[in-house]
Amino acid sequence: MNEFEALEEAVSKGDIKTAVAETQRALDAGSEVKSILDKGLIAAMDKVGDRYSKGLIFVPQMLRSAKTMQECMKLLQPLFQEGDVTSKGKVLIGTVKGDLHDIGKNLVGMMMGGAGFDITDLGVDIPPEKFVQKIQEVEPDIVCMSALLSTTMPSMSRTIEAMQKAGIRDKVKVMIGGAPVTEKYAREIKADSYASDAGSAVSKAKELLGIL
Amino acid sequence: MGDSSPFYRPLTKENLKQIDQTGRRILERIGVRIADSAFRDILKAAGAKVDSDNQRVRFEEGWLDEVLGRAPSCFTLYSRDGKNDIHLGEGNVYFGNGGRVFRILDMSTGGYRLTLLRDVANTAALVDKLDNIRFYIIACQAHDIKPANYHLLDFYYALNHTTKHVMGGCDDLHGAEQMWKLASIIARGEERLREKPFVSVITNPISPLTIDSETLEILRFCVTHGIPTTCAPAPIAGATAPATLAGTLSQMHAEALAGVTIAQVFAPGAKVLYGAVATTMDLRKMEFTMGSVEMGMMNAAAVQLAKLYNLPIYASGGVTEAKRPDIQAGFEKSVSSLTVAMTGADFIHLTAGVIDSGNSISYEQYVIDNEIIGMTQRVLQGIKVNEDTLAYDVIEQVGPGGNFVAEEHTINHMMDEFFYPNLQVRCNFDIWEEMGHPDMLSRANELVGKILEESEEGLLDVDLIDDIKKAFSGSQYI
Repeated sequence: MNEFEALEEAVSKGDIKTAVAETQRALDAGSEVKSILDKGLIAAMDKVGDRYSKGLIFVPQMLRSAKTMQECMKLLQPLFQEGDVTSKGKVLIGTVKGDLHDIGKNLVGMMMGGAGFDITDLGVDIPPEKFVQKIQEVEPDIVCMSALLSTTMPSMSRTIEAMQKAGIRDKVKVMIGGAPVTEKYAREIKADSYASDAGSAVSKAKELLGIL
Repeated sequence: MGDSSPFYRPLTKENLKQIDQTGRRILERIGVRIADSAFRDILKAAGAKVDSDNQRVRFEEGWLDEVLGRAPSCFTLYSRDGKNDIHLGEGNVYFGNGGRVFRILDMSTGGYRLTLLRDVANTAALVDKLDNIRFYIIACQAHDIKPANYHLLDFYYALNHTTKHVMGGCDDLHGAEQMWKLASIIARGEERLREKPFVSVITNPISPLTIDSETLEILRFCVTHGIPTTCAPAPIAGATAPATLAGTLSQMHAEALAGVTIAQVFAPGAKVLYGAVATTMDLRKMEFTMGSVEMGMMNAAAVQLAKLYNLPIYASGGVTEAKRPDIQAGFEKSVSSLTVAMTGADFIHLTAGVIDSGNSISYEQYVIDNEIIGMTQRVLQGIKVNEDTLAYDVIEQVGPGGNFVAEEHTINHMMDEFFYPNLQVRCNFDIWEEMGHPDMLSRANELVGKILEESEEGLLDVDLIDDIKKAFSGSQYI
């Protein structure tokens, strides 16, 4: 029997209160931080992901479980040793210059956050130089750019150019998306990846970082 | 149901009264033609005015009201497993398929063919698995069986493939008797069948204003054996009824009330539905239509007429003239189903499977209609408003600029607030392309295949089947 069964169940159900209490109980009982994470939290999220892909639960339930896990992580985080991996990767996300649309970008940010990525959301109407400055500051693994308008799509290309000029293009993966954006356009402007919706943004990001 | 009242009311109170009064005037002055003198004698003895020279039976107002008063305002059409009982007269709206067509669009060949006994089994299996279709009407004629055991077999195949309530027409008294005997065996006793009837019978007068002797025989047999029935007039506006909707309604109202009244003479308290199958004729070329917008309107009005007498209604809707499950089928069916449903009709038949003006069925159309009905039911459920659904607390908690996706409030309500279709394409464009451009018909065809594959085995117990075989000779199809 799994010693973290109650914790696993609370995370699966998205029951934050019980999950946090169970995490605290495990810590008080002297369980190792690493095994609470692996055998309790991550094991639960694997099951949740599996249930979602089988169509047994909906997106809100998956995100609720992710949120529950994050709340539990707050207790574990101060206790981690160096070398313990606690995030899937850092992601910087924003809507490009001239474009004020943010629903799609927010959905992507939310889904990626739920999947365990560490998200920094820059907001909307972000000029290339702001992306460059923030990349240098945050040092993300992936930069996500969003555009809803055919007229603002070229900002994506200009942002990539700015990254090249600043000499930081090789340090990050670039993923783009938005209604008029296509796989073909992503290739043309030499982005690393394109995602057609919030769900596939998560799997594309995992692919990019080799953490499938 | 009922949060979103007032529902659609095609007739004002004043108009409703005018149509009702015209219907009553038709019954009192013109009457209905009944050729069989024995039935005229029964009605005469019960108090009807009979003019034997003209084969007319007339219904004087006082007598009409007295006899109609015996009809139950609510009763239940039972399912065999208790999961889909149809509670009539309690404000619920139930949708079902429609019946006795002769042709099917067979997607396995892509062409049309005559319907067979196995199509009865397959349509029953489809209805059994499709949640929004709540009762089964024997969907088609079986061209491969002989008259001798016809209704033994079509009802047997229906009952062997669905536990939902089964309704059907009977061609003659012998057929009705066979059906009753079969159902009594399955119920394990006549009294148990009478107590919880899971079969019912459709009869029809002939418009205008005629009731055939065989129809009366079947009606009498059913009501005296506790089998629920309807005697549902099917006037065609512009052909067998006036070209005005009000005129067709007045005539149909008279015919429908005559059916209910006669049933109450045969068996006071008989479970009988006010019947309405008002249709129209496209007079440009005399084309019979069931998907016309006026058909929906008239069946909606009929609900108001039935409710004047507190009678549950067997109404009609959701049909199309289209020959395939196509765009025309989609919008004709949707408009029609919604129009009738929004009046609060108890029981709407024909809403699933039927195409080609009631001449053909399509398996795929069954699963598509299940979705249309699902959306229609959602409309009827209305918008639930209370402290919790108004959601002030969660709006405050999320605050400006946040989102509601992972809130507990969302999870608590997401199952009840939305209708989730199975077949409608809702994925984004890229995924749709990856999936190979599925359309409604291709998805419907896939689902049909899946359901029929899972439903090959019959549902009746082996010992019941033995009893049925023993009770009927020459039933090699069982």
